[in-house]
Amino acid sequence: MSLRKQTPSDFLKQIIGRPVVVKLNSGVDYRGVLACLDGYMNIAIEQTEEYVNGQLKNKYGDAFLRGNNDEYVNKQAHKIKNR
Amino acid sequence: RHGLDEIVLQPTTNTVEEPLDLIRLSLDERIYVKMRNDRELRGRLHAYDQHLNMILGDVEETVTTVEIDEETYEELYKSTKRNIPMLFVRGDGVVLVAPPLRVG
Repeated sequence: MSLRKQTPSDFLKQIIGRPVVVKLNSGVDYRGVLACLDGYMNIAIEQTEEYVNGQLKNKYGDAFLRGNNDEYVNKQAHKIKNR
Repeated sequence: RHGLDEIVLQPTTNTVEEPLDLIRLSLDERIYVKMRNDRELRGRLHAYDQHLNMILGDVEETVTTVEIDEETYEELYKSTKRNIPMLFVRGDGVVLVAPPLRVG
């Protein structure tokens, strides 16, 4: 999967449907399958698990994460940083 | 409905399904909202906008605090709950929105 000269839209299309880790600046981790996201980094994740130190809560179905929460979306080696 | 083949960065009605479209499916349903500052809300979603400002009805708010005992260094978790019949939630405090939790 090449990173050269992709538009953000191309990148977003590639990672939809993949397992992701979304790490918030607060230190909380969300792991699940990326259902969709938009240009504001709002995210919908399926089969989400929330990790704070240890595993705290399971969320089944969709979880919506608001953009602008200092999110890092990590799939393998790809990272998007949202300021 | 999928008029465009690409994701447009401005949210318009021609984009592929985006997270806010899916929140629309939760209208009139009970939802769980995680907020900044260790607050959680459970209530019925009456309205929302692109900022995630929301109107929630029949709300239970939970505020969680941690106290540390100075001698034993024990962490004491406290929850304070209150009930609010109708609530405007300002979107910039919202972290996460989901169907009501089942605690794992």
